[in-house]
Amino acid sequence: MQGQADGPRRAAESDSDKGRRGRQGAAGQGRHDFFGEFGGRYVAEVLRSPLDELEIAFDEAISDSAFQRELDGVLRDYVGRPTPLIAADRISDQIGGARIYVKQEGLAATGAHKVNNAVGQALLARRMGKSRIIAETGAGQHGVAVAAVCARLGLACDVYMGELDMRRQKPNVFWMERYGARVLPVAGGSATLKDAVNEALRDWSASFEDTHYLLGSVLGPSPFPDMVREFQAVIGRETQAQCAERGIEPAALLACVGGGSNAIGFFSPYLENEGTRLIGVEAGGRGTDPGEHAARMRGLGRPGIVHGYKSLFLLDEDGQVLPTHSVSAGLDYPGIGPQLAHLGRTGRVEFRRATDQEALEALDYFARTEGLLFALESAHGAAAAPAVAMEYSNDQAIVLNMSGRGDKDLFIGARELDREGWKRFLKEEYESL
Amino acid sequence: MSAIGPAGRASLMAHLVAYYPDRESSFHTALGLVDAGVDFLEIQFPFSDPTADGPAIQEACATALETGFTMAGGFQLVGELAQRTDRPIMLMSYAGPVFARGVARFVSEAAERGVAGLIVPDLPLDPQYNEGLFEAARGAGIEAVPVVVAGAPEERVRLVLEWEARYVYVALRRGTTGDQTTLTPEAVAFLDRIRSAGVYTFAGFGVSSREQVEQLGAHADSVVVGSAFVRTVHARKEYGPAQVRNGVYHLAAELVGGPRGPASRNGRRRRGRSRSGLGRL
Ligand SMILES: Cc1ncc(COP(=O)(O)O)c(C=O)c1O
Repeated sequence: MQGQADGPRRAAESDSDKGRRGRQGAAGQGRHDFFGEFGGRYVAEVLRSPLDELEIAFDEAISDSAFQRELDGVLRDYVGRPTPLIAADRISDQIGGARIYVKQEGLAATGAHKVNNAVGQALLARRMGKSRIIAETGAGQHGVAVAAVCARLGLACDVYMGELDMRRQKPNVFWMERYGARVLPVAGGSATLKDAVNEALRDWSASFEDTHYLLGSVLGPSPFPDMVREFQAVIGRETQAQCAERGIEPAALLACVGGGSNAIGFFSPYLENEGTRLIGVEAGGRGTDPGEHAARMRGLGRPGIVHGYKSLFLLDEDGQVLPTHSVSAGLDYPGIGPQLAHLGRTGRVEFRRATDQEALEALDYFARTEGLLFALESAHGAAAAPAVAMEYSNDQAIVLNMSGRGDKDLFIGARELDREGWKRFLKEEYESL
Repeated sequence: MSAIGPAGRASLMAHLVAYYPDRESSFHTALGLVDAGVDFLEIQFPFSDPTADGPAIQEACATALETGFTMAGGFQLVGELAQRTDRPIMLMSYAGPVFARGVARFVSEAAERGVAGLIVPDLPLDPQYNEGLFEAARGAGIEAVPVVVAGAPEERVRLVLEWEARYVYVALRRGTTGDQTTLTPEAVAFLDRIRSAGVYTFAGFGVSSREQVEQLGAHADSVVVGSAFVRTVHARKEYGPAQVRNGVYHLAAELVGGPRGPASRNGRRRRGRSRSGLGRL
């Protein structure tokens, strides 16, 4: 997968390009410009130099044992790694088939896997001498993780967030501000996550001298997809070790897919291991019409170039980005990371969809039956688990990544699952203020 | 390389967004600009996610998409404009819509409609990231215009020179379109360096006054004014196409240093074609 097939138009390639395409980072899966036909760095000239600088700094850091030690220390003491792997025995007994295990990423500090990447990139930014961090956020999970990590490292932090998302995710705005971050509302476009990415890119194109853009998923121009994957691969490495301790060889891994960072981080060490099926679950929303879902694979997305990378996106015929919908704000994004788009093409990763309703039911089922509270995003993966388990026998195992815990979804969950009780509570709460 | 504009001054390229605030107004905006004497029209085909643009052009793109811009409609509009003026039309857009159209198809449609050049900032000259845009344009007898940022490392300049680009667009500073730019000595030195290599140089980003145009005109072949026109359209869009046209006409006339008389084909006066060796000229 290294580099991209050479075509005639590559004849005029410059020396620096040859250098990049030949380079392998020392750790993990190395560096790619393209994954098959997807990926790349389709950015305005002004972003060229910060991306070059970032790429070099990342390659150096990832092969520096001092950086690795520092990262491991923060992941252990602050994030609380390793996160546990637990058997969902009652559910497995009820539905039969393969035993279901749950990787509890949601027990990481700030409540989701997002913090792994936030810690990695923030340490890198500090090493690069940057004093300010900017980030985009949709649900607010990435924003909260970045704000918290910046507070720990003493970095200034500005988080761009669509105005619509700020209204939908008020609690996370509140927490980001408690961590000392500024939350900057984005009114342009659809006032959601994709527009927050645009605004962060605009900021960075003027501020990169002292500012690092801490992108929250495996997307954007290279080196972001490689870098974010490497910082999230800790999920997969721990899972491998925890499975080995229990003598399990998982038949399948399951994860929800927004941009794809929890999924690719979880899958990463297994990519070469053909014995393990890798299944990504996208947001099926309310249906397959445009604007009703956020599923890019299995025919709904088109090849396109948005946010500096080529991948599959939800686009109209003219390449304009379509609106998306998901009950889980973290999956409500029109594109998918280029590596996952490629792995979907080659068939290495299978994609399924879970609807809003299925995710809500899975959330309820795992909470009642196992005492595990899934984030709505992660509940999309959970929704697909029973059907996958039933394809196997009970001497086999599958592992489900619970990318986040569900506390953050109080407002959305309560509105969907206990509307009347919630209304009464809010009214009383309001009156008591 | 000879200048497009009258002797002694640099030419002016005026930027507008197709279908902003609607199709008819944008058509009249373009003609108003031509009549006021601008030398190039840079017409932007809007994209839903214009990451290199500041608030004025973002708003224009969003409105243009709401009022019905399509790629087919955009090409139709450009074709009609090319019939009405001899001034070269540069087509600006983003990788998203260009790639969705198919780069080869986009280029050939542009050439057929009489477009002289293409500016797609997120398809850079680097061969692995431009989807063949630059070669396709050359093959169709038009030019894709690479962008460099003032102060860019020498290797980025070399890329442009090695491609033997006919035009180059120099972004005068970092950031996005719209904010005011102060012309620094470094930017001046950079412009002089590029121009000395014989490349026809457009310079822009944050230019909005006659004074800036004059200042820059000493160091660039053509000065680009974008957001200032878009803001003028914004301020007048409630009053209909004629008022929009008037607004941009007066701003353009001021920027080129007094009206040079109508130049669209239904006007009284037409300037001859220039001899700059421009793509379609
Ligand atoms: C808990 C959780 N899971 C998943 C996601 C989706 O992101 P990704 O696909 O990059 O893991 C998010 C995004 O906010 C999230 O908060």
